[in-house]
Amino acid sequence: MSHDHEHGLPPKSSVSRWFLTTNHKDIGVLYLITALFFLVFGGVLALLFRLELISSGADLLGSMGYNQAVSTHGLLMVFWFISPFAFGFANYIVPLQIGADDLAFPRLNALSYWLYLFSGILMGVSFFQGTTFAGGWTMYAPLNTPAYIPGEGLGATSVVLALIMFTAAVTLGSVNFLTTMYRMRAENLRMRDIPIFSLSINLTVWMMLFAFAALLAALMILASDHILGTTYFQYSIDGTTMATDADNPGASLLWAHLFWFFGHPEVYIVFFPALGVMAECFQTFTGRRLVGRKWFIISMVLVALQSFVVWMHHMFLTGINLPIKTIFMATTIGISLPFDLMVFSLIYTMAKGRVRFTTPFLFSLGALILFIIGGITGVFLGAIVLDYQFRGTYWVVAHFHYVMVAGATALFGGLYYWYPKITGKMYNETLGKIQFGVYFLGFNLLYFPMFIAWETPRRVFVYPDGLQIWHSMATVGGFILGASFLLMFYNLFVSLWRGEDVGPNPWEYATSAEWAVSSPPSLENFPGVPSYATGKLEFLDEEAVTERTESAPGGAAHGHAATDGGTATDGGAVTARAAATATAVEPAHEVGGEEHASHASFWPFLVSLGGFIAFLGLSGVRTGSVFYLSMAAVGGVATFGSLVGMTREPFHAPEMAIAERWPFERVEKMKLGMWTFLASDIVLFGAFIGSYAFVRVAYGWTAWHHDLIPAEHVTMPGLINTYLLLTSSFLVVLAMVAAERESKRGTVAALVGTFALGVGFLINKGIEWNHLFHISTETFPNGWGLSTNIASSTFYLTTGLHGAHVTIGLIICAYMTVRAWNGAYQGDDRAIEYFGLYWHFVDIVWLFLFPLFYIL
Amino acid sequence: MDWKGYTVIYVVLFVFATAQAVVEFAGLVDSAYWAAFALIMVLSVIKAVGVAAYYQHLRWEPRAVTYLVLGGTVAALALTGAAAYSIL
Repeated sequence: MSHDHEHGLPPKSSVSRWFLTTNHKDIGVLYLITALFFLVFGGVLALLFRLELISSGADLLGSMGYNQAVSTHGLLMVFWFISPFAFGFANYIVPLQIGADDLAFPRLNALSYWLYLFSGILMGVSFFQGTTFAGGWTMYAPLNTPAYIPGEGLGATSVVLALIMFTAAVTLGSVNFLTTMYRMRAENLRMRDIPIFSLSINLTVWMMLFAFAALLAALMILASDHILGTTYFQYSIDGTTMATDADNPGASLLWAHLFWFFGHPEVYIVFFPALGVMAECFQTFTGRRLVGRKWFIISMVLVALQSFVVWMHHMFLTGINLPIKTIFMATTIGISLPFDLMVFSLIYTMAKGRVRFTTPFLFSLGALILFIIGGITGVFLGAIVLDYQFRGTYWVVAHFHYVMVAGATALFGGLYYWYPKITGKMYNETLGKIQFGVYFLGFNLLYFPMFIAWETPRRVFVYPDGLQIWHSMATVGGFILGASFLLMFYNLFVSLWRGEDVGPNPWEYATSAEWAVSSPPSLENFPGVPSYATGKLEFLDEEAVTERTESAPGGAAHGHAATDGGTATDGGAVTARAAATATAVEPAHEVGGEEHASHASFWPFLVSLGGFIAFLGLSGVRTGSVFYLSMAAVGGVATFGSLVGMTREPFHAPEMAIAERWPFERVEKMKLGMWTFLASDIVLFGAFIGSYAFVRVAYGWTAWHHDLIPAEHVTMPGLINTYLLLTSSFLVVLAMVAAERESKRGTVAALVGTFALGVGFLINKGIEWNHLFHISTETFPNGWGLSTNIASSTFYLTTGLHGAHVTIGLIICAYMTVRAWNGAYQGDDRAIEYFGLYWHFVDIVWLFLFPLFYIL
Repeated sequence: MDWKGYTVIYVVLFVFATAQAVVEFAGLVDSAYWAAFALIMVLSVIKAVGVAAYYQHLRWEPRAVTYLVLGGTVAALALTGAAAYSIL
């Protein structure tokens, strides 16, 4: 029988536990195991094409097999392995390090995981739809569009949809982590003082929030090109050949811009958690606080900001102009400077401390060495003239593997570092060190020869005979690297049974908060409410919390202290003032009734399963196949039904009674979550509008309207819709006012009005679209549809995305209207306010779409 | 803010939206395209700021929320501006 503290979850030995759990530690473990599965998946593909490259030519896999293996390897490793692996640790460790009992939105966290898993399964299924995507992990246009994909290309469409699903998981995760870190830090724990791993995750999720929104836009547009027939990323096709009067000269550059605006921050999204692990391990195994910690943090912040202004160094070989290349060369060289500072900080920490060569430290040190090589060789690529020579060669392949796999190396160190915390068992240290030796040898034998054989063209299986020796060495190195993982899996698996039991802190000098609790920690994490009010970690009991909240709401603030590194303690920088009462009374932050409601939920799994079926169906709808159409319909209904079920399920995750919340003290967590999501949505719409602006500039801004848009596309429908949306926004605020005044009739009337105006908006849009689809003029004899030209594609897709937002808003509005009818929200208008934030945002977007698509 | 304040904002938004259409109906888009473009976009920005500040209550939230919104906006503008400039 479940104890109250188990929040209705079955025991860990039960399979159902892992489908129902919303606990951050369980989900962290799920992420780690799933990411390691994808590591093996991507790794086996890599071994296959390394075998292929023992000699020049595609005599093992065949040309299409080789292209698929290379593309899928890249996509799996970048998206489905490295970041999710880091976020396994983030899920498990960050709440413990900052003093939270879970993430802010536990069910959303579970939903992120299941979306991630099912997106990976969809990726795998794509192999069975003829062929999977084979155009390289960067998916350059126009080779990413159906017209340029051999066969039906359904597998490629599934890959695009899988990436959309993955990106949705990332966005939900970003919102969740940011809300958690700004609303649930232990009392008196300033942002700058949180342990360096958590800080690295904080900056990572900031980058993810904005970068993945741009990727989402790119993928949604690409999916539309695949499924709906828009023409963003392809030149005009005239029958079976490319038309000479192509109307979309910006097609392939648009993809490059969108992809690399995401892609370069992605490098740091991958590497920052690894930096955090390295810093933690350097501190713990040298017994020294990170030297220049403040400057290390400032450097990370600078890199996070700069990461968004370097993307065009990936495009030096395209037709972008020289001034912009020069600017981006400067920003790219500039971003190496804060990294230099971080590297020196780590080296100096090692020099000042007394090093203990444990397995986690060896991996961290190895990662640093590899990263230095990767970083230096990358600076070559930031220089325009050198990039002209190196771009598209194995120099790039070697460089980015030295960077990205250096990150993975640190994360493997993290796996050893936190393994005792997660399992309560110690791994075999000797075997760990042997694995590091084999890993490091294999890594360098695999990737270093690629620098020497740099003239090999990238993504091509044919190379000059003189380079064969280097490729053979690399292949041997690849198998040695692969073998090292067998040692790791054996070690970690066997240690689950044979490993020595460990206490809270097996590392002599580890001082961050996760080491202050049992290994593994209890479901509640802490024996009371964590607080740093005295400058040291304490656990407050119910009485102390009540005193604190009554005397100083928001928490006291004295004696700030960094919560990681520092000098040795007696096994943890902890004084458990109320520890004696921790097992005898309810944890103080869990008092007050509903908190013990079940935290088990099957809905996140079901929503993701429904999404998987729907997306698999969508991948084939363009064929008109009943099978695919049925799957899309069934999946869509299942997803919607599951979302409704999830909404109606009672689930209570209260805010902490006392917490440090700078700089969002007065922004309740739901509101902060909504604002964070909207910030991401701004980038999504921004990227759509930016895409429109880009292709219009490429075509000729003023000629666009004259050449591509029919005279029947007039201002009036847009103006009417502007009035409808503005009025509906006004009614939402009136609903808030009515709820505040506890006027049920007023609340319901205003919400009904909002709903009716939103429906009116959609009907008006439907009439307008139907008219444009069926016009017949000299220039547009077959109507103005999605595929007519690039202007029609941008119009329908951008306003369609907006219409989809309106539709989602209407569903929420309908739900809230029913609730208001039943008496909800009276005297508490917060829910209406949060809905209003979304609805007004949809309104704001239209305020820009109206002039851009109807007037100018 | 009470309903009267919200109503004033609504009227202003309504008038500005109409003004944007009037710019086109008056033929300014055909006769002086870039002046019309600037005027119409400035009106859109004013309307957006009005909705965000008053209907979304950004004016009364901690400034950090505004910075969060500005972060997304700046990112989107950087992408749009730099990408468009790169092919000029």
